[in-house]
Amino acid sequence: MENFKETPLMYGVAFMVIAFIFAQSFFFIIKSWKHGKELGIKKETLVNTVTSSILFTVPPAISILVTVFVLAKALGVILPWIRLTVIGNLAYETVAAETALNNLGGSLSKEITDPGQFSTVVWAMTIGSVFPLTFLPIVCKKLQKKIGGAISKNEKTAKLGDVLSAAAFIGIISAFIARAINGCTAITEPVLDAAGNEVLNEAGERVTQKVITESAGLLSILTLIFAILIMLLIIFLCRKVKFLEKFEPFATPLAMFAAMGCAVIFSKVLPENLASFTWYEIGGVL
Amino acid sequence: MSKNKDYFDRVHIWGAVWNYAALFMMLSVPVCMSLVINSWPSLGIMGKVVATLAPLYWVTGIIEVVTYVPMLGAGGTYLSFVTGNISNLKLPCGLNAMENAKVRPNTEEGEVISTISIAVSSLTTTVVIAVGVIAFAKVFSMAGNNPTFAAAFNNVLPALFGALGASYFAKHWKLGIAPIICGVIVLFISPATGVGVLMFVTIVASLVAALIIYKGLWYDDFKNMKKAKKEKQAE
Repeated sequence: MENFKETPLMYGVAFMVIAFIFAQSFFFIIKSWKHGKELGIKKETLVNTVTSSILFTVPPAISILVTVFVLAKALGVILPWIRLTVIGNLAYETVAAETALNNLGGSLSKEITDPGQFSTVVWAMTIGSVFPLTFLPIVCKKLQKKIGGAISKNEKTAKLGDVLSAAAFIGIISAFIARAINGCTAITEPVLDAAGNEVLNEAGERVTQKVITESAGLLSILTLIFAILIMLLIIFLCRKVKFLEKFEPFATPLAMFAAMGCAVIFSKVLPENLASFTWYEIGGVL
Repeated sequence: MSKNKDYFDRVHIWGAVWNYAALFMMLSVPVCMSLVINSWPSLGIMGKVVATLAPLYWVTGIIEVVTYVPMLGAGGTYLSFVTGNISNLKLPCGLNAMENAKVRPNTEEGEVISTISIAVSSLTTTVVIAVGVIAFAKVFSMAGNNPTFAAAFNNVLPALFGALGASYFAKHWKLGIAPIICGVIVLFISPATGVGVLMFVTIVASLVAALIIYKGLWYDDFKNMKKAKKEKQAE
């Protein structure tokens, strides 16, 4: 059961998902192509659309691939592969997986070896993300007619939509930043006596305690700061140096890997008591 | 005009069929995986997880549908909501293609170009990820098991959200201050607060801050709307 996350059957599930995406995409390409010809759109314009869309997509797709590997350490490669192929979004997938693991006392920082934890993560990721598909066909037509018209007429409404959407996303990111600054993860465990038996209270119920399994500390804060600084530096360079412009889609994975590299360097260079310093003692009771 | 209406109506019918097929396919993934590993999540834990994620994801889902649908076109919408990565890939790709082809969104020509562009983008992403995973999975797995990299993988989340945050803060730095401060205060009081509860606090803080900072975008319209409603009632 050691490598249950990457068995041939799991690969089979991934290929089923890929086959679906291929079928849906080709269906819409064929229908649109035919209609484009009926409308008199030149073949050259249609071919250019295909070529430019491929070129436009390759860099961000590589950055998505990189994030598949980042999640693969904890989840194996198949699940992140599937999740980032359908309704994929690194931030949302990470949030769902981390929320599920938090409830089980785990974290994405460690490899999942328990099939129970893994199946909880798979279900959490799916249930969290499929919601728009349940009502999209019901509202899509009305929205396109009503809001599409309003947005194209009212620039302020469009800008407010952008701001609120960015604010919601920043809210999600901020929770993780705050946890990297001063958060910890704890699991509820029964209190054991010297003989290793569970301690019961006067009512005969199990006495439990919260044991810390992970904590923010110097290394998490340094990694966070360096990720922010490196990202800002990459964005600045990509916008100032014309030659580097084409690397901007890679900025997030580049900064992320550079910050992870910094974490390795700090863990080797700093004195051990500093490198392993955390606000809350791992294994301690909260 | 009638032909135009026919085409859009047909796209919505195709889209709805593919949409519900995709929903079925996506729900079959956890079922298949649970069958393969012979392990199912406990209902109690799933209840807790869904209770935490539902308000966050589902509210975000509604906001995304309302925000993106008018810009993506009918076919592009149905494809994008199945394959994801909308804001960072599908939307800019579709808009870029329409600009290159000199067609406008919400026209029949725009619909055709946007749908082809987003479908090609979905195929390209799927191929790049699949080829990359098959070609590099072994190499990555070897690196991941090396103890030298332990510090790197133990700090994936600060690295990831630091980088993601910086790109957003670069554009909307004012919006980041309130939620981070609120998050840190909550964790100072209760350090083991779960990420779901914490996110609820930080999202609310961020939205409230956005409404205050960008008051100019909504306050006048809101006041006028209220005034018009009062006048209508008086009549």
